[in-house]
Amino acid sequence: MKKRNVVLGLGLAAALALTGCSSGGDSASDGGSSGEAVKGGTLHVLATTDFSHLDPAQGWDGGVNNFYRLIYRQLTMFAGGDSENPTEIVPDLATDLGTPNEDNTVWTFTLKDDIFFQDGTPITSEDVRFGVERSLDPDIAVGSPYAKILLDGADEYEGVYKDGHLDSIETPDDKTIVFHLNQSYADFGSAVAQPVYTPFPAEGDVTTTSIDKQPISSGPYVVSEYKPGSSIVLERNEYWEPDSDEVRKAYPDKFVWTLGLDNSTIDERMIANQGDDKNAISGIILASSLSRIQEPSIQERTLEGLKGCTTYLALNTTKEPLNDLKVRQAISYAIDKKSVQTATGGPALTDIANTMLPPTVKGHQDFDLYPSEGGEGDPEKAKELLEEAGYADGFELSLDMRAVPVTQAQAESIQESLAKANIDVKLNVVDTAKYWQIIGTPSQQTDAAIAGWCPDWPTGATFLPPLFEGSQIFDQGNSNIAQFDNEEVNKRMDEIRAMTDVEEANKAWGELDKQILESAPAVPLTWEKAVTVTGSNIANAHLHEGYSGGIDYAVVGLKSVDE
Amino acid sequence: MLLYILKRVLAGVVVLFLITVFTYTVFFVLSPDPAYMICGKTCTPDRIADIHEKLGLDKPFWEQIWVFLSGLFVGRDYGEGVNALHCAAPCLGYSFQTSQSVFEMIVQRLPVSATLAVGAAVLWLFAGIGGGLIGAVKKGTWWDRGIMVVALSGISLPNYFVALALQYLLVVKLKWLPFPTAVPFADDPLLWFQSYIMPWFVLAFMYAAMYTRLVRSNVIDTLGQGFIRTARAKGLDTNVVMGKHALRPALTPALTLFGMDFAALLGGALITETVFGLNGVGKLTADSITQNDQPVIMAVTLLAAALVVVANIVVDLLYSVLDPRVRVKAQ
Repeated sequence: MKKRNVVLGLGLAAALALTGCSSGGDSASDGGSSGEAVKGGTLHVLATTDFSHLDPAQGWDGGVNNFYRLIYRQLTMFAGGDSENPTEIVPDLATDLGTPNEDNTVWTFTLKDDIFFQDGTPITSEDVRFGVERSLDPDIAVGSPYAKILLDGADEYEGVYKDGHLDSIETPDDKTIVFHLNQSYADFGSAVAQPVYTPFPAEGDVTTTSIDKQPISSGPYVVSEYKPGSSIVLERNEYWEPDSDEVRKAYPDKFVWTLGLDNSTIDERMIANQGDDKNAISGIILASSLSRIQEPSIQERTLEGLKGCTTYLALNTTKEPLNDLKVRQAISYAIDKKSVQTATGGPALTDIANTMLPPTVKGHQDFDLYPSEGGEGDPEKAKELLEEAGYADGFELSLDMRAVPVTQAQAESIQESLAKANIDVKLNVVDTAKYWQIIGTPSQQTDAAIAGWCPDWPTGATFLPPLFEGSQIFDQGNSNIAQFDNEEVNKRMDEIRAMTDVEEANKAWGELDKQILESAPAVPLTWEKAVTVTGSNIANAHLHEGYSGGIDYAVVGLKSVDE
Repeated sequence: MLLYILKRVLAGVVVLFLITVFTYTVFFVLSPDPAYMICGKTCTPDRIADIHEKLGLDKPFWEQIWVFLSGLFVGRDYGEGVNALHCAAPCLGYSFQTSQSVFEMIVQRLPVSATLAVGAAVLWLFAGIGGGLIGAVKKGTWWDRGIMVVALSGISLPNYFVALALQYLLVVKLKWLPFPTAVPFADDPLLWFQSYIMPWFVLAFMYAAMYTRLVRSNVIDTLGQGFIRTARAKGLDTNVVMGKHALRPALTPALTLFGMDFAALLGGALITETVFGLNGVGKLTADSITQNDQPVIMAVTLLAAALVVVANIVVDLLYSVLDPRVRVKAQ
């Protein structure tokens, strides 16, 4: 299950704080779930689905990345959910964020002391190299692509088992590792926080499939029991040195996941707050449970924040009349986002989006190029534009949508608001399982589609290129659903990627967002929120902006432990 | 007799073979491409081709079916070179979603479904046969009517409604029971019982209702037959008449039904397992359908079909024990 499935509504969905202020529940009083935590106890997690993979070379979605924080370490990592700025990248196994050469094509990292695998063997640069080389094996490479895309020669490399070592990773000594990239990449310090950079014992008997069954931990916990689809139990890793780790608090002695529960049962349990469920956290509640969590006693243990993903309407710029800028702008004006918000669950569950980048992304800029009164759409303005474009009598538009209730409701509200501008929308309902295949295949998609995107880490770099870069249009597995291929935008993306200053690049992505939307290849619709209820004995629970996984497992704990 | 059994087993194998081919065909023709599910966000046409090759989905349809079928008996190999993976017989392949061995997944979850099926079967046979008998003997009384009203509600109330209502009442409101967890009996007998009692009741309620009606009408039917009058005229004790002469022929249709029902339940109770969060084969089926996990769907379909086929054969053999008329035909 990959990130795009977060949009599919599978897995623990994202939850994160609004930039500039902590998320609603985070500021709760000491009685709430973000109070002081103590060491010890067993923390329970109630979940609907199993994790895709325990092997970090293969798993790659918000929920599982968050889980990996407990058992795996990488060179760098996101700061804790309880810190000032959770999406800041901080050193983990490395002593710093890496030292680049002049043009950011060669990166050197030095490892800390006192870092061990779960059997007490020290972690060396060889182990980090082996972990990355292993992840590049095509037989398992279904996880994060940020080693394959960036490392020199990785695209032709078949993994450590077939091809031996990859020349572009050097280990001059046990503490030093050097990466040679195939491009200038200023944000490489963020890339090495991806799960594929997890070390594994180079001298061990790790195979392509063994980690999925029996993980080898480098983090504060080890997997002591795993029943696929039913439960996972983590216990403390005695060889993890707290002093070598600035982020992970590792409060509980034990984590117990109960998997495969029905979503409504989870909500029921979290609201009832009985027995062990007092020490439990879970994912996002169902919209239907919203009315039941309004009591102050439950509100006090409720966290909410943005998921960090954008739901948008992609307009296929290769189709008539959508290849006309004025027509796309007309659609951007006509859509009643207020009603789309209502269809998605109302203001409690979603915010109206006017930009492609959500506020959680660094460098996000707030603007609205196609404003209307109360966000309710401006059909008059749309009609004017259509007239200018020569479609005074409107036209017919086919909209691809998944057969799920919320998308159905969103599509119907789009249909209604476009009808006011004489655009006759025909809904093309596609089976959920086939949806991404169809809209990701240019020969099969129709005029427009409702889609969503979550970034790999909160920067424009992992958000805008996959959706709007010309070179990203593929015959299959295409993520640029608008098939937007604009020379200026393509050029600007190359320029931003060449920037050596990450802050500056982030800002530039924010500006590019505006430049792209001037061409209106897509209409941002909503930013969905995560609302989650915690048990009454949960402490230091913070939604994390870097994970679509909600509560940061690395810092959450219990208020009190009965001994 | 031996020839008869052989014939039946052979017919069963043919049925299973046809089901396998049919299911595979349905997937091959209608199913979305699993490569998209596997490569997710970082898809490229190359990556899709790689996945097809690794899963053997690039081969022609007949070859794929052949590989699947032979895998059941002699195992099969995935990939080649140093990473080649041998999947030992009976090989049901690996989950597209989690790469786990499908055979292991099912073996892990069967105990839960078996516990559910056995417990529920004991309850519903007891209630169904008992209720049917009382209803038949006390025909037309308030006893009879009361039992029939309960049976009717059991048939008409949807399974998920009873399950959710029961859980809300006993767990959330009254707090008599904890939320169910699929704990093995050996770990915590009390919690085991508390966890399974609700799902047992929900399943039994549904089935018992059908059995009650079936047994009742059969017993009433039998009691009107000539041989019962003869038995009574011989001065036999009422209990003997009821137990030995009336109940036995009345139970044979129920036995047929039971074989099928029990086998189907072993193959997983989708709704009940999902509502109560018990990870049996039924929950696995539901999950694999939502995730479009083809190898798992194939496997659970085959399992359910095999169970029903076997149950059918067993029931037919038992028939010949219970009913002398069948024995003659069989020979």
